[in-house]
Amino acid sequence: MKAYIIKRLLSMIPVLLIVAMFVFFLIHMIPGDPAAVMLGPEATPEEVAALRDNMGLNLPIYEQFFNWFTDVARGNLGDSLYMNVPVMDAFVSHLGPTLSLALLAQGFSILIAIPIGVLAARKRGTGVDRTFMIIAMLGMSIPSFLLALLLMLVFGVRLNWLPVAGYSSLAEGVWQHVKFLILPAISLGAIQAAVIARMTRSSMIDILSMNFIKTAKAKGLKQKVVIYKHAFRNALIPILTILGETFGALITGAVVTETVFNLPGLGQLVINAITRRDYAVIQGTILMIAVTYLFLNLIIDLLYGLVDPRVRLSRK
Amino acid sequence: MLVMAAVLALSACSKNDAESPESSGADKAVQTGGTLEVAYPTQPQSLDPHGTTAEATRDAAKVIYEGLVTINDNYEVIPQLADSFEVSEDNKKVTFKLREGVPFHNGKEMTSEDVVASMVKWSENKPELGEHEWIAVDDYTVELNMSQPSSLVMHFLADVGNLAAVMPKEVAESAEATGAKEYIGTGPFEFVEWKQDEMIKFKKFEDYAQDEDEANGLGGKKEALVDEINWRFVPDASTRVNGLISGQYQFAHMLNYDSIPQVENNPQVEVDVWPYGIEGLVFNKKEGLFKDVKARQAVNNALDMDVIMSSAFTGKDYYELDPSLFLESQTDWYTDAGKENYNPKDPEKAKQLLAEAGYNGEEVVILTSRDYEHHYNAAVATQQMLEKAGMNVKLDVYDWPTLLERRDDPSAYDIFYTGFSTSFTPHQYVFLDSGTQWPGWTEDPEIDRLLDEINAAASQEEAHDLYAQLQEEMWEYLPIINTGKNSRVSGYSKDLKGYTNLSGPNFWNVSINK
Repeated sequence: MKAYIIKRLLSMIPVLLIVAMFVFFLIHMIPGDPAAVMLGPEATPEEVAALRDNMGLNLPIYEQFFNWFTDVARGNLGDSLYMNVPVMDAFVSHLGPTLSLALLAQGFSILIAIPIGVLAARKRGTGVDRTFMIIAMLGMSIPSFLLALLLMLVFGVRLNWLPVAGYSSLAEGVWQHVKFLILPAISLGAIQAAVIARMTRSSMIDILSMNFIKTAKAKGLKQKVVIYKHAFRNALIPILTILGETFGALITGAVVTETVFNLPGLGQLVINAITRRDYAVIQGTILMIAVTYLFLNLIIDLLYGLVDPRVRLSRK
Repeated sequence: MLVMAAVLALSACSKNDAESPESSGADKAVQTGGTLEVAYPTQPQSLDPHGTTAEATRDAAKVIYEGLVTINDNYEVIPQLADSFEVSEDNKKVTFKLREGVPFHNGKEMTSEDVVASMVKWSENKPELGEHEWIAVDDYTVELNMSQPSSLVMHFLADVGNLAAVMPKEVAESAEATGAKEYIGTGPFEFVEWKQDEMIKFKKFEDYAQDEDEANGLGGKKEALVDEINWRFVPDASTRVNGLISGQYQFAHMLNYDSIPQVENNPQVEVDVWPYGIEGLVFNKKEGLFKDVKARQAVNNALDMDVIMSSAFTGKDYYELDPSLFLESQTDWYTDAGKENYNPKDPEKAKQLLAEAGYNGEEVVILTSRDYEHHYNAAVATQQMLEKAGMNVKLDVYDWPTLLERRDDPSAYDIFYTGFSTSFTPHQYVFLDSGTQWPGWTEDPEIDRLLDEINAAASQEEAHDLYAQLQEEMWEYLPIINTGKNSRVSGYSKDLKGYTNLSGPNFWNVSINK
């Protein structure tokens, strides 16, 4: 197991190197000047040139890359050109809202999707199955901004039960923190729930038709035991894979939800950095997101071993 | 299911809304205290206003900073941190007597050395001041000596768009290229904290030194009537509207024009339409067709400004057709000189001028961006009208940062649209002065001469007459086409009393009366 983890960790290095180079050169290839954005449309070319010089943007591109990369290798992601804070600080402060939102959304989607998926598989072909799967189809098809705006209009504007938008950190109280995240978590989780429910259903259907289930039933085991102990556990591997993928997407892909609900998360950080051409933030954040993805994948792979003893991670 | 539930709930709720009682119009006594929640579309790069003209900086900075002088309701210069000022007859020296006993937010008293350090930092980006020197004569007297006379220097100092904020000497001197590291001023509110991409918190400055003159424009009596301001960054326009209607925000800046009916129908919310500036079609005068003034005049004749402005700003409530660069309330500068060349709407003359300019169907490129829908819509309307006049027009659409870069390349385009916020002097319109080398590359010796003469004018009346000549010349030479004035829209809760807008929203003398 240890050897496996070390091997996986080492294999991350070339991936991160490629990501770093790719992001750096891609973002510098896109036209747009951070100094011009910062100074506004009425700035004169002279003012823009002076600020570019001050920010070190007039150095040759390979020199800029070398400077940035040597800093990154030492664990320093650089400073934001626009926000005047270290990129790592910006990443950490924006990670909080995103992580809270992802956990809540994932919790919400698991709570809804897995029972629905299991039930639909058990009642395969019946009205219940079809109804749930139509709802899941609808869930997958709704654009998240539309669901977000509808939830906001109903529960924020009309009923005034929950705040329309914004964020409050955990330090200001658990309920204060959670109440800002409920609507975004539902709008984000609903779509994930649809994906997970469909995956749970098909995985359960596969398992339920296998011989060991027939054996379990023939042994006279209770229906509940057959479903949850034998079938569900075996159906978990593809569900875990999809959970890992959706969680990764929740962390990195909640841009629309974060914008609509005005959450200062990673999605907002990246989008704002792109519109401001804040190179250091774009590069640093993408690199950190790549690291997060790689670790998530590793954790999911390790979980396979726990769920299914047949998966031996250390085997060569 | 969620969508269905939402739609049902929406229809169930709408009736209640229509019946909700209008808030009582009776004026209550001013209440103090509470937290003002402001929804603002963009996060500034810094709160230090010295090095930037960005509106996001201007609007938040004027809560905490003050300058030596400022403007009244008519954009005339009045003292603020200066008790008085005197301009020498030759317009080369200004003497400021400072107010005594004015504390900074860090408790230290403001003296002439703070003013000098701040003004030296502020004037680093002010080539228009020429060679000059700031001198601390005694603790409460400061002198500005200039080698060339300038009738405009007081306007520059009062310009809130690039606020000449006074900060403690040590803060001014330790500032970096991207701005001061600490935000300490003398204003009615003090800076508390900045949560990146979330909000800036300001709180009432308890020791604020009140100017006892009556409140007028950005000067006079300024009181912090609320305890705190949470200045939240809410980039999504529909979220700002929803937050305003739900009562989560008491003020929402820059509403979309199409959301205004929704806001106006809400009895708890007021709409504020405020003058922004001009919408400008900028010609590339360095390369291509529009080097020739006749081709620029052809475009001016081909356009219908009413159509352009209504495409960009949706309705007549939000724009005004006017040839001047200044607002009518800017009595120091306003004139309608050159109006005979504004909006002539003569397509036949346009064709004739194009023929005289030797136009042969070459492609005319308009740079535009969908990041600002009004610029994009103005560009689309322009394309159609120019095509009708026989031109071959192509729109090049980019994101805004790319457009800002491409407009520096004279071989990349012929026209682009941008907005110019209302300035305090003609010199701040960057497209007039050939010395700025601003994209579009104006080279008109007559405009340059008039700008110099305005700067050297002995009186404001003389400067005004010279500006009238300049505006007339501008409509002949056409460095840009000023398509018209436009307004922006903010919304605020009816509970908010005392709100004003002059060069952006102002939150002193504002209370929340529930």
